[in-house]
Amino acid sequence: MAQRLDPAAVPWAKPKPVTLVAAILVLLAMPWLLTNFSTGRFALHLIILFFIWGIVTQSWNLILGVGGIFSFAQVSFFVIGGLASGAASQQLGLSPFITIWFAPIAATFAALIIGLPSLRLRGPYVVLLTLAFAELVRNFATQGPKWIAGGGYGLRDVPKFGFETMWGTTTGRVAYYYGALLLFLITTYVIWRIFHSPIGMSFRALRDSETYATSRGVDPFRFKMLLFVLSAFFTGLAGGFLVHYNGSQAPTILNFSLTINLLAMIVLGGWGTFWGPILGTALLTALPEILRGPLDNWRTMAMGLSLALIAVFAPEGLFPLLSRWTKKIFGRKDKAQAG
Amino acid sequence: MEKLFQAVYGGILYGSIYGLMAIGLTLIWGSLRMLNMAMGAFYVVGAYLTWTAFKLWGVPPLLAIVLGVLAAAVIGLLIQVLLINRLLGRSSFFNAAMIATVGAAIMIESAALLIYGPRVKQMPPIIEGHTKILGVVIQYQNLVIIAVAAISLIALSLFLKKTRYGLAIQAVSQQMDAARLMGIPTVLTFMIVATIGAAFAGLAGSLLSSVFSFAPTAGYTPLTKALIVTIFGGLGSIKGTIWAAYIIGVLEVFLTVYFGAGFALPVLFLFMILMLVIRPSGLFGLGEIQRL
Repeated sequence: MAQRLDPAAVPWAKPKPVTLVAAILVLLAMPWLLTNFSTGRFALHLIILFFIWGIVTQSWNLILGVGGIFSFAQVSFFVIGGLASGAASQQLGLSPFITIWFAPIAATFAALIIGLPSLRLRGPYVVLLTLAFAELVRNFATQGPKWIAGGGYGLRDVPKFGFETMWGTTTGRVAYYYGALLLFLITTYVIWRIFHSPIGMSFRALRDSETYATSRGVDPFRFKMLLFVLSAFFTGLAGGFLVHYNGSQAPTILNFSLTINLLAMIVLGGWGTFWGPILGTALLTALPEILRGPLDNWRTMAMGLSLALIAVFAPEGLFPLLSRWTKKIFGRKDKAQAG
Repeated sequence: MEKLFQAVYGGILYGSIYGLMAIGLTLIWGSLRMLNMAMGAFYVVGAYLTWTAFKLWGVPPLLAIVLGVLAAAVIGLLIQVLLINRLLGRSSFFNAAMIATVGAAIMIESAALLIYGPRVKQMPPIIEGHTKILGVVIQYQNLVIIAVAAISLIALSLFLKKTRYGLAIQAVSQQMDAARLMGIPTVLTFMIVATIGAAFAGLAGSLLSSVFSFAPTAGYTPLTKALIVTIFGGLGSIKGTIWAAYIIGVLEVFLTVYFGAGFALPVLFLFMILMLVIRPSGLFGLGEIQRL
């Protein structure tokens, strides 16, 4: 291996320092501007949700698109993270800043438990086993012990991070934004590194031809397990953040619709690519709010239709399509080689 | 004794439904090598159309069931023709077909939501009345469901063994390339398989619409159960799936009767993991065919 690390593995080496500083300034200053308007405050909430779902879709894409593992247990890891952190802060009276670290740990353990039997299996069997696991978690979250299931209502009155009480409403909102941004950036950076490291190469090799990759010394089970656990870690962390942001976690998020929604984000954006899930999450977080009003009831229908159409006409998703178009129009290479 | 009889009776009832749901999944896997995630949606179509035909159009119940089955079959065929047939032969067929059927399922469910609203509906029983055997109340309509399920499963296996098209389906699922070389029209076979699978899921939906209330999202649970059954029986194996449906049904009701409903699903899940560890290709699985 002449070159161990892809030169693109250091994400800030590519854009000019000016662009980078400008991007950071915009990201830091945006919430202060947005809190001044009522629509802006709602937009801020949406951006925080975008960060959280962005973490989940990016890590799910890591196993679906990069690893080729058809796991449907991602929302379960999210919920397990939320339950662990929420129930711990409620029952033990610990600060949410401490209990949020229980979330990724619990999700990682869950991933180990479900990964051990299912990752040795192939395509359809992984789908079946992880779906069954999701059903099991749903069962537990609605009918489990009272301090977890809350008698079918889920966790309620979970202690929030309490930024508002510390610094006032406006600063509190911005603080939540910064928290979500920080988690999102860390996740994105780690996933970027994975994409551009020998590990990422092994994952793509395994997905594209398992026999060849195995014969070149890639142990499929070990790598799949690593990927699975990593993705569960970040998903659990996001779940822990959301539960202390909302102050509650209803078991209805385990209904199939959220799984479908997240899947749609990944598929729409472009699965297996780095920027795909981010683009898809941004689109599917913003569009439904923009299209509110008379079209409200047709949102799910439109999502199903777009999933089917994407599968038939643009199976690689929107991001590769868009980057090809921009290349064609502007005639210069952009950062699309990430996928 | 009473509990045991209750478990066996309930298990056979559940098993019939699981069999109807799972048989389409396994048939489609056998010939197309894809998971049809729209099975739950076909169930919903069957249930709603039966209800509409009976309640709004005043059609007699048996004819209403036939209409429900036909509607599910037509929609299954449409999905096959409009979506799946275009994906055939792609390297990413498994992913693309799964995504496409998930999309179709969402569209069907949201259409049901737009037309009928979120409130739960229920069909009145097809046949009123009940009898008591060994202290267990047995509804006549449940007996009808068991009988209809058994007859249609037997009819399906006869169709697969005796008729020209049934043999074609078997040939395609055993060796697709060889079947194509023998002049079997594979695309037509796929369409027949998709229609049969959807019809069976629709039959499950319309039969069950008088037992359980249903809503636009009612298809999710039967889909999961059908998936469990197909794993247990071995994907692609008809015999295995039918056996597995009744075994899982009896096991589930047995656990519910003796240990409570909360235990049924976790234990089933553990049972399934054990099964996959001991026999990764299921009860009568066809064996792992590695496709590069």
